Amino acid sequence: MSTSTVRSENVEFEFEGQKILARPGQSIAAALWATQQTALRTTARDAAPRGYFCGMGICFDCLVTVDGRPNCQACLVPAADGMVVTHQYGNGADPEPTGGGR
Amino acid sequence: MSSNPQATGRAAAETPRLVVVGAGPAGMATAITLAERGLSVTVVDQNPHPGGQIYRFPAVTPKTPQTPERGAMLRQHLAEHSERITVLPEHNLVDIHPGPRLSLCGPDGFRIVEADHLVLAPGAYEYVPPFPGWTLPGVITPGAAQQLVKSQGVAPGRRVLLAGTGPFLLVVALALHEVGVQVAGIIDTLRRRDAFWQLPSLLADGKLLKQGFDYVAGVSKAGIPLMTGHIVTRAEGHGRLEQVVVAPCDGDWVPDHNRSRPVVVDTLCVGYGFVPRVDLAQLAGCELAPTNLPGGWIPVTDPWGQTSVPGVWTAGDGAGVAGAIVAELAGQLVGLGVASSCGAIESSEAERSAEPIRERLHQLGRFRRGLDELGWPRPGLSQLADESTVVCRCEEIRRDEIDAAISAGSTTLRSLKVATRLGMGPCQGRMCQPACSRRLIDLGCNTLEEIGPPAFRPPLVPLTLGQLAGNDEESEDLELVENTPHAGPAP
Repeated sequence: MSTSTVRSENVEFEFEGQKILARPGQSIAAALWATQQTALRTTARDAAPRGYFCGMGICFDCLVTVDGRPNCQACLVPAADGMVVTHQYGNGADPEPTGGGR
Repeated sequence: MSSNPQATGRAAAETPRLVVVGAGPAGMATAITLAERGLSVTVVDQNPHPGGQIYRFPAVTPKTPQTPERGAMLRQHLAEHSERITVLPEHNLVDIHPGPRLSLCGPDGFRIVEADHLVLAPGAYEYVPPFPGWTLPGVITPGAAQQLVKSQGVAPGRRVLLAGTGPFLLVVALALHEVGVQVAGIIDTLRRRDAFWQLPSLLADGKLLKQGFDYVAGVSKAGIPLMTGHIVTRAEGHGRLEQVVVAPCDGDWVPDHNRSRPVVVDTLCVGYGFVPRVDLAQLAGCELAPTNLPGGWIPVTDPWGQTSVPGVWTAGDGAGVAGAIVAELAGQLVGLGVASSCGAIESSEAERSAEPIRERLHQLGRFRRGLDELGWPRPGLSQLADESTVVCRCEEIRRDEIDAAISAGSTTLRSLKVATRLGMGPCQGRMCQPACSRRLIDLGCNTLEEIGPPAFRPPLVPLTLGQLAGNDEESEDLELVENTPHAGPAP
């Protein structure tokens, strides 16, 4: 299969302003994992990084913001053309890192 | 009873409404068995395609053709019965009301489905007890690694370590090796001599035992180091996993920290067996019984898989983890039970058809008990967390906060939840409560019976206010609703 064919079959979305290529059907978490981006969110209390963990929608650790909508499970949501995905801070209501909640 | 024709305005006895929740091996086998007996059934599943976790349908088209496997066969049978089997993919079960009546949330919003017979086949998830560094990105479950490889077409890492206990680690290690991932090793808490004592049970099924030996041989042939009697004590890194600390452990899985050493990897896959999902059974009001498996509770059933609630049945790993082969057989058994209850087959025919299934299940059960005895978490496992280790991943509750609450008299899951917020996040305690129960037992605070099962509440999956209002797309108010069916203020 030529490179151009593969490209046309791929979907392209944005993560933190960076263009990410995904294969059709691939989850956001898998597409990002393939580009070595494993930290998907920062927790509310400790401002600790979290990412893909259970891979089946049980643990809720891979939460990201998709097209402005927070708390999307990156392991379940398939990547789609033109999607804008951002890192989630805390519960998704905060635009930037918080933490220090201890 | 829900089958009252006058109340529902229909002849329920003639066309029973049958619903199966979960399209893994148990759910698929149940539906196929019912369809074969001439009954129509609706199968509800969270995923886009039937298969469950074990037979997950590839999300991306595999680059190399896959060998046909059992899951593909079951999917094909399901499709062959499409006149009788309706699959509702991408539907989450939100709540179960008496009746039973199910609230489902799918791509087109909410729907209510009523059932005369409801079969719960929710499956299981991996047991990972807290240890220092377990929340770092790069630490995942073996199942999550398998999903990346088999369903998503992504290598889970360049250099990967597998750790925990049980044959699943070998299966995943081989899958990773096949796609060219460097597997740094398999760290298993069991010692070879532990397995020796379970040989009498394991010999109950020579075929499965041979399969186990084949896995070990495959791992050896692949040059993957298999380190038995060892345990991962911590994961370390800045912002993501950089290295793992491994130590030899004794028969109680207590590590010898003096002999620990670091292993540099970019991914750690860690799992110590599986926790049956009892959330659905609990919402349906089914009686649960304590077991010594991770998680601690399974639904009580009769020999056909019917729970304490008439018309609610359960099969597969959610009814007690025993793997895909057992799940499929249990699904067939439940299918026969339901068909007989509906009058689609005579009870004598159900008994006759069930006999060979039960025989096989009995044989597999002995093998499974041997495996369970081996894999049953030992005390050392719940001592891995140090005082600052986050135990509840959602609410970031640390070990010292939990221990303080225990010292102050919280000795049940319910009181720990009230005292610390443990289990109040979106996972509802699925991740942390099995380990917390274990901790309470190991500290001698309480028995499993007194600690009680985790209390799951609707909605079982977090919903947005928009979804609750039925106008998901238009809603601008998209807060995560935590454990409350209505969008009231947080407690």
